[in-house]
Amino acid sequence: MRRLRWLLVPILVVPLAWLLLSGFDRDPRAIASPLIGRPAPAWSVETLDGERLSADDLAGRPYLVNFWASWCIPACVDEHPVLASAHERHGDELAVVGVLYQDTPTDAEGFLARYGDAGYPHLVDEDGSLAIDFGVTGPPETFFVDADGIVRARQWGPLTADSMAEQLASIGVGS
Amino acid sequence: VRPWLLPAAGGVLLAIVGVLAVASLDRDEPTPSARADALTRELRCPDCQGLSVADSPTESAQTIRAEVDELIAGGATDDEVRAHFVARYGEWILLAPSAPLFWVIPLAVVIAALAALAVWLARRPAPSATATSPLSIEERRRLHEEAEALDA
Repeated sequence: MRRLRWLLVPILVVPLAWLLLSGFDRDPRAIASPLIGRPAPAWSVETLDGERLSADDLAGRPYLVNFWASWCIPACVDEHPVLASAHERHGDELAVVGVLYQDTPTDAEGFLARYGDAGYPHLVDEDGSLAIDFGVTGPPETFFVDADGIVRARQWGPLTADSMAEQLASIGVGS
Repeated sequence: VRPWLLPAAGGVLLAIVGVLAVASLDRDEPTPSARADALTRELRCPDCQGLSVADSPTESAQTIRAEVDELIAGGATDDEVRAHFVARYGEWILLAPSAPLFWVIPLAVVIAALAALAVWLARRPAPSATATSPLSIEERRRLHEEAEALDA
Protein backbone atom coordinates (compact mmCIF):
# COMPACT_ATOMS: atom_id res chain seq x y z
CA MET A 1 0.00 0.00 0.00
CA ARG A 2 2.80 2.40 0.98
CA ARG A 3 4.63 1.65 -2.25
CA LEU A 4 1.55 2.31 -4.32
CA ARG A 5 1.46 5.78 -2.87
CA TRP A 6 4.37 6.76 -5.15
CA LEU A 7 2.11 6.08 -8.09
CA LEU A 8 0.32 9.27 -7.07
CA VAL A 9 3.23 11.32 -8.36
CA PRO A 10 3.06 10.17 -12.01
CA ILE A 11 -0.75 10.12 -11.83
CA LEU A 12 -0.76 13.81 -10.92
CA VAL A 13 2.30 15.00 -12.81
CA VAL A 14 1.85 13.30 -16.19
CA PRO A 15 -1.60 14.72 -17.07
CA LEU A 16 -0.61 18.15 -15.76
CA ALA A 17 2.61 18.17 -17.81
CA TRP A 18 0.69 17.01 -20.86
CA LEU A 19 -1.87 19.79 -20.35
CA LEU A 20 0.83 22.46 -20.07
CA LEU A 21 3.03 21.14 -22.89
CA SER A 22 0.12 20.70 -25.30
CA GLY A 23 -0.14 24.49 -25.51
CA PHE A 24 3.29 24.87 -27.11
CA ASP A 25 2.28 23.96 -30.66
CA ARG A 26 -0.78 26.20 -30.60
CA ASP A 27 -0.98 29.88 -31.36
CA PRO A 28 -2.62 31.52 -28.34
CA ARG A 29 -4.27 34.09 -30.62
CA ALA A 30 -5.90 31.48 -32.86
CA ILE A 31 -8.94 31.21 -30.62
CA ALA A 32 -11.93 29.20 -31.78
CA SER A 33 -14.66 31.35 -33.29
CA PRO A 34 -18.10 31.02 -31.66
CA LEU A 35 -19.60 31.93 -35.04
CA ILE A 36 -18.90 28.51 -36.56
CA GLY A 37 -22.20 26.71 -37.16
CA ARG A 38 -24.23 29.87 -36.60
CA PRO A 39 -25.79 32.36 -39.04
CA ALA A 40 -23.32 34.95 -40.29
CA PRO A 41 -23.75 38.47 -38.90
CA ALA A 42 -26.03 40.63 -41.07
CA TRP A 43 -24.25 43.52 -42.75
CA SER A 44 -24.86 46.29 -45.24
CA VAL A 45 -21.77 48.33 -45.95
CA GLU A 46 -20.49 50.65 -48.65
CA THR A 47 -17.78 49.29 -50.94
CA LEU A 48 -14.64 50.99 -52.23
CA ASP A 49 -16.60 51.70 -55.43
CA GLY A 50 -19.19 53.63 -53.43
CA GLU A 51 -21.95 51.07 -53.90
CA ARG A 52 -23.83 49.49 -51.04
CA LEU A 53 -23.52 45.73 -50.60
CA SER A 54 -25.34 43.61 -48.03
CA ALA A 55 -25.34 39.99 -46.89
CA ASP A 56 -28.86 39.73 -48.35
CA ASP A 57 -27.47 40.49 -51.85
CA LEU A 58 -25.42 37.28 -51.55
CA ALA A 59 -28.24 35.12 -50.18
CA GLY A 60 -28.31 31.64 -51.66
CA ARG A 61 -24.64 31.75 -52.65
CA PRO A 62 -21.66 30.62 -50.62
CA TYR A 63 -19.30 33.50 -49.90
CA LEU A 64 -16.12 34.32 -48.07
CA VAL A 65 -15.39 37.47 -46.11
CA ASN A 66 -11.70 38.39 -46.01
CA PHE A 67 -10.58 41.03 -43.49
CA TRP A 68 -7.37 42.66 -44.73
CA ALA A 69 -5.36 45.89 -44.60
CA SER A 70 -2.75 47.56 -46.77
CA TRP A 71 -0.46 47.70 -43.70
CA CYS A 72 -0.79 43.97 -43.13
CA ILE A 73 2.54 42.92 -44.63
CA PRO A 74 3.58 40.34 -45.64
CA ALA A 75 0.59 38.15 -44.68
CA CYS A 76 -2.04 40.04 -46.71
CA VAL A 77 0.31 40.36 -49.68
CA ASP A 78 1.04 36.63 -49.55
CA GLU A 79 -2.58 35.56 -49.58
CA HIS A 80 -3.72 38.15 -52.13
CA PRO A 81 -3.09 35.94 -55.20
CA VAL A 82 -4.87 33.03 -53.48
CA LEU A 83 -8.02 35.14 -53.08
CA ALA A 84 -7.75 36.48 -56.63
CA SER A 85 -7.44 33.00 -58.10
CA ALA A 86 -10.39 31.69 -56.05
CA HIS A 87 -12.47 34.58 -57.37
CA GLU A 88 -11.46 33.90 -60.97
CA ARG A 89 -11.76 30.16 -60.74
CA HIS A 90 -15.15 29.85 -59.06
CA GLY A 91 -16.86 32.81 -60.68
CA ASP A 92 -20.56 32.99 -59.82
CA GLU A 93 -20.42 29.86 -57.67
CA LEU A 94 -18.61 31.79 -54.94
CA ALA A 95 -18.78 35.42 -53.86
CA VAL A 96 -15.52 36.87 -52.56
CA VAL A 97 -15.82 39.94 -50.35
CA GLY A 98 -12.90 41.87 -48.89
CA VAL A 99 -13.25 44.08 -45.83
CA LEU A 100 -10.81 46.88 -45.00
CA TYR A 101 -9.62 46.39 -41.45
CA GLN A 102 -8.54 49.67 -39.84
CA ASP A 103 -7.45 51.03 -43.16
CA THR A 104 -8.24 54.05 -45.34
CA PRO A 105 -9.79 53.70 -48.81
CA THR A 106 -6.80 55.56 -50.30
CA ASP A 107 -4.25 53.15 -48.82
CA ALA A 108 -6.38 50.16 -49.78
CA GLU A 109 -6.64 51.39 -53.39
CA GLY A 110 -2.87 51.84 -53.44
CA PHE A 111 -2.44 48.24 -52.32
CA LEU A 112 -4.82 46.97 -55.03
CA ALA A 113 -3.08 49.06 -57.70
CA ARG A 114 0.26 47.58 -56.68
CA TYR A 115 -0.65 43.94 -56.10
CA GLY A 116 -3.55 43.58 -58.53
CA ASP A 117 -7.27 44.18 -58.28
CA ALA A 118 -9.10 40.93 -58.98
CA GLY A 119 -12.38 42.80 -59.26
CA TYR A 120 -14.28 41.52 -56.23
CA PRO A 121 -15.81 44.13 -53.89
CA HIS A 122 -14.13 45.53 -50.77
CA LEU A 123 -16.24 46.84 -47.90
CA VAL A 124 -15.17 50.03 -46.16
CA ASP A 125 -15.78 49.14 -42.50
CA GLU A 126 -15.43 52.75 -41.41
CA ASP A 127 -16.19 52.38 -37.68
CA GLY A 128 -14.82 48.82 -37.40
CA SER A 129 -18.16 47.42 -36.25
CA LEU A 130 -18.26 44.70 -38.92
CA ALA A 131 -14.89 43.41 -37.68
CA ILE A 132 -16.29 43.35 -34.12
CA ASP A 133 -19.41 41.51 -35.33
CA PHE A 134 -17.22 38.80 -36.84
CA GLY A 135 -14.95 38.73 -33.79
CA VAL A 136 -11.83 39.64 -35.77
CA THR A 137 -8.59 39.90 -33.78
CA GLY A 138 -6.32 41.03 -36.60
CA PRO A 139 -5.86 40.76 -40.37
CA PRO A 140 -5.79 38.61 -42.34
CA GLU A 141 -8.80 36.68 -41.15
CA THR A 142 -11.32 35.00 -43.43
CA PHE A 143 -14.79 33.62 -42.75
CA PHE A 144 -16.49 31.07 -44.99
CA VAL A 145 -20.29 31.25 -45.20
CA ASP A 146 -22.36 28.56 -46.95
CA ALA A 147 -25.37 29.05 -49.24
CA ASP A 148 -27.71 28.93 -46.22
CA GLY A 149 -25.88 31.83 -44.58
CA ILE A 150 -24.20 29.69 -41.92
CA VAL A 151 -20.56 30.34 -41.00
CA ARG A 152 -18.73 27.05 -41.62
CA ALA A 153 -15.06 27.90 -41.19
CA ARG A 154 -12.62 30.59 -40.25
CA GLN A 155 -9.06 31.00 -41.45
CA TRP A 156 -6.93 32.80 -38.92
CA GLY A 157 -3.83 34.13 -40.66
CA PRO A 158 -2.98 34.07 -44.38
CA LEU A 159 -4.70 31.66 -46.76
CA THR A 160 -2.63 29.32 -48.87
CA ALA A 161 -3.82 27.41 -51.93
CA ASP A 162 -4.25 24.30 -49.76
CA SER A 163 -6.08 25.95 -46.88
CA MET A 164 -8.29 27.82 -49.34
CA ALA A 165 -9.32 24.54 -51.02
CA GLU A 166 -9.96 22.94 -47.66
CA GLN A 167 -12.05 25.84 -46.32
CA LEU A 168 -14.00 26.18 -49.59
CA ALA A 169 -14.90 22.49 -49.39
CA SER A 170 -16.58 23.23 -46.04
CA ILE A 171 -19.03 25.56 -47.77
CA GLY A 172 -19.64 23.22 -50.68
CA VAL A 173 -17.39 24.92 -53.24
CA GLY A 174 -15.35 22.23 -54.97
CA SER A 175 -12.29 22.36 -57.14
CA VAL B 1 -2.02 20.88 14.96
CA ARG B 2 -5.56 19.53 14.89
CA PRO B 3 -6.38 18.09 11.44
CA TRP B 4 -9.73 19.88 11.24
CA LEU B 5 -8.31 23.29 12.09
CA LEU B 6 -7.11 24.38 8.65
CA PRO B 7 -10.11 23.17 6.62
CA ALA B 8 -12.33 24.85 9.21
CA ALA B 9 -10.37 28.09 8.90
CA GLY B 10 -10.73 27.84 5.11
CA GLY B 11 -14.48 27.39 5.49
CA VAL B 12 -14.77 30.46 7.72
CA LEU B 13 -12.74 32.49 5.23
CA LEU B 14 -15.05 31.39 2.39
CA ALA B 15 -18.09 32.36 4.42
CA ILE B 16 -16.66 35.84 5.05
CA VAL B 17 -15.93 36.31 1.34
CA GLY B 18 -19.48 35.18 0.54
CA VAL B 19 -21.07 37.61 3.00
CA LEU B 20 -18.95 40.48 1.64
CA ALA B 21 -19.92 39.58 -1.93
CA VAL B 22 -23.64 39.57 -1.09
CA ALA B 23 -23.32 42.81 0.87
CA SER B 24 -21.66 44.51 -2.08
CA LEU B 25 -24.69 43.71 -4.27
CA ASP B 26 -26.81 46.10 -2.25
CA ARG B 27 -25.09 49.23 -3.51
CA ASP B 28 -26.71 52.19 -5.28
CA GLU B 29 -27.40 51.90 -8.99
CA PRO B 30 -24.24 53.02 -10.89
CA THR B 31 -24.45 55.59 -13.70
CA PRO B 32 -24.39 54.35 -17.33
CA SER B 33 -20.89 55.71 -17.83
CA ALA B 34 -19.65 54.03 -14.63
CA ARG B 35 -21.16 50.78 -15.88
CA ALA B 36 -19.46 51.21 -19.26
CA ASP B 37 -16.15 51.93 -17.48
CA ALA B 38 -16.47 48.76 -15.42
CA LEU B 39 -17.48 46.64 -18.42
CA THR B 40 -14.65 47.90 -20.62
CA ARG B 41 -12.22 46.94 -17.87
CA GLU B 42 -13.58 43.38 -18.10
CA LEU B 43 -13.41 43.14 -21.89
CA ARG B 44 -10.22 42.22 -23.69
CA CYS B 45 -8.97 44.53 -26.44
CA PRO B 46 -9.03 42.15 -29.45
CA ASP B 47 -5.86 43.41 -31.14
CA CYS B 48 -3.68 43.99 -28.07
CA GLN B 49 -1.62 41.69 -25.91
CA GLY B 50 -3.53 41.15 -22.69
CA LEU B 51 -4.91 44.70 -22.33
CA SER B 52 -8.46 45.59 -21.46
CA VAL B 53 -10.60 47.76 -23.74
CA ALA B 54 -10.45 50.48 -21.06
CA ASP B 55 -6.64 50.44 -21.09
CA SER B 56 -6.19 50.46 -24.84
CA PRO B 57 -6.32 53.30 -27.36
CA THR B 58 -6.65 51.10 -30.48
CA GLU B 59 -9.46 51.54 -32.98
CA SER B 60 -11.11 48.25 -32.10
CA ALA B 61 -11.02 49.14 -28.39
CA GLN B 62 -12.69 52.47 -29.22
CA THR B 63 -15.28 50.70 -31.35
CA ILE B 64 -16.06 48.27 -28.55
CA ARG B 65 -16.32 51.14 -26.04
CA ALA B 66 -18.78 52.89 -28.37
CA GLU B 67 -20.80 49.68 -28.75
CA VAL B 68 -20.88 49.20 -24.96
CA ASP B 69 -22.21 52.77 -24.54
CA GLU B 70 -24.78 52.13 -27.25
CA LEU B 71 -25.95 48.82 -25.74
CA ILE B 72 -26.28 50.38 -22.28
CA ALA B 73 -28.21 53.33 -23.72
CA GLY B 74 -30.47 50.79 -25.41
CA GLY B 75 -31.31 49.29 -22.02
CA ALA B 76 -29.00 46.23 -22.02
CA THR B 77 -27.99 44.78 -18.66
CA ASP B 78 -24.31 44.18 -17.86
CA ASP B 79 -24.77 40.48 -18.57
CA GLU B 80 -26.38 41.23 -21.92
CA VAL B 81 -23.45 43.47 -22.86
CA ARG B 82 -20.99 40.70 -21.94
CA ALA B 83 -23.08 38.15 -23.87
CA HIS B 84 -23.06 40.43 -26.93
CA PHE B 85 -19.26 40.24 -27.16
CA VAL B 86 -18.97 36.62 -26.05
CA ALA B 87 -21.27 35.69 -28.96
CA ARG B 88 -18.71 37.25 -31.34
CA TYR B 89 -15.35 36.45 -29.76
CA GLY B 90 -16.15 33.64 -27.34
CA GLU B 91 -15.21 33.59 -23.65
CA TRP B 92 -11.77 34.82 -24.71
CA ILE B 93 -13.07 38.40 -24.85
CA LEU B 94 -13.62 38.34 -21.07
CA LEU B 95 -10.35 38.98 -19.22
CA ALA B 96 -11.65 36.98 -16.24
CA PRO B 97 -13.44 33.68 -16.86
CA SER B 98 -17.17 33.82 -16.14
CA ALA B 99 -17.68 30.19 -15.07
CA PRO B 100 -17.52 30.03 -11.23
CA LEU B 101 -15.74 26.68 -11.58
CA PHE B 102 -12.54 28.45 -12.65
CA TRP B 103 -12.52 30.39 -9.39
CA VAL B 104 -13.53 27.49 -7.15
CA ILE B 105 -10.99 24.95 -8.43
CA PRO B 106 -7.77 26.76 -7.35
CA LEU B 107 -9.33 27.59 -3.97
CA ALA B 108 -10.44 23.98 -3.51
CA VAL B 109 -6.96 22.73 -4.43
CA VAL B 110 -5.32 25.02 -1.86
CA ILE B 111 -7.79 24.00 0.86
CA ALA B 112 -7.38 20.31 0.02
CA ALA B 113 -3.58 20.65 0.09
CA LEU B 114 -3.66 22.40 3.47
CA ALA B 115 -6.04 19.77 4.83
CA ALA B 116 -3.78 16.97 3.57
CA LEU B 117 -0.76 18.67 5.15
CA ALA B 118 -2.61 19.02 8.45
CA VAL B 119 -3.63 15.36 8.41
CA TRP B 120 -0.09 14.30 7.54
CA LEU B 121 1.41 16.39 10.35
CA ALA B 122 -1.09 15.07 12.87
CA ARG B 123 -0.56 11.43 11.86
CA ARG B 124 3.20 11.51 11.62
CA PRO B 125 4.64 9.30 14.32
CA ALA B 126 6.82 11.04 16.88
CA PRO B 127 10.55 10.64 16.13
CA SER B 128 11.47 7.19 17.45
CA ALA B 129 13.44 6.98 20.67
CA THR B 130 16.00 4.48 19.36
CA ALA B 131 16.99 6.58 16.38
CA THR B 132 18.34 9.43 18.50
CA SER B 133 19.70 7.47 21.48
CA PRO B 134 23.47 7.38 21.77
CA LEU B 135 25.26 4.27 20.59
CA SER B 136 25.48 1.38 22.97
CA ILE B 137 28.85 0.31 24.34
CA GLU B 138 28.74 -2.76 22.10
CA GLU B 139 28.13 -0.57 19.00
CA ARG B 140 30.95 1.83 19.93
CA ARG B 141 33.31 -1.07 20.33
CA ARG B 142 32.37 -2.48 16.89
CA LEU B 143 32.70 0.93 15.26
CA HIS B 144 36.12 1.39 16.79
CA GLU B 145 37.20 -2.06 15.61
CA GLU B 146 36.06 -1.50 12.06
CA ALA B 147 37.77 1.88 11.91
CA GLU B 148 40.97 0.28 13.07
CA ALA B 149 40.62 -2.41 10.46
CA LEU B 150 40.28 0.26 7.77
CA ASP B 151 43.38 2.08 8.99
CA ALA B 152 45.43 -1.09 8.97
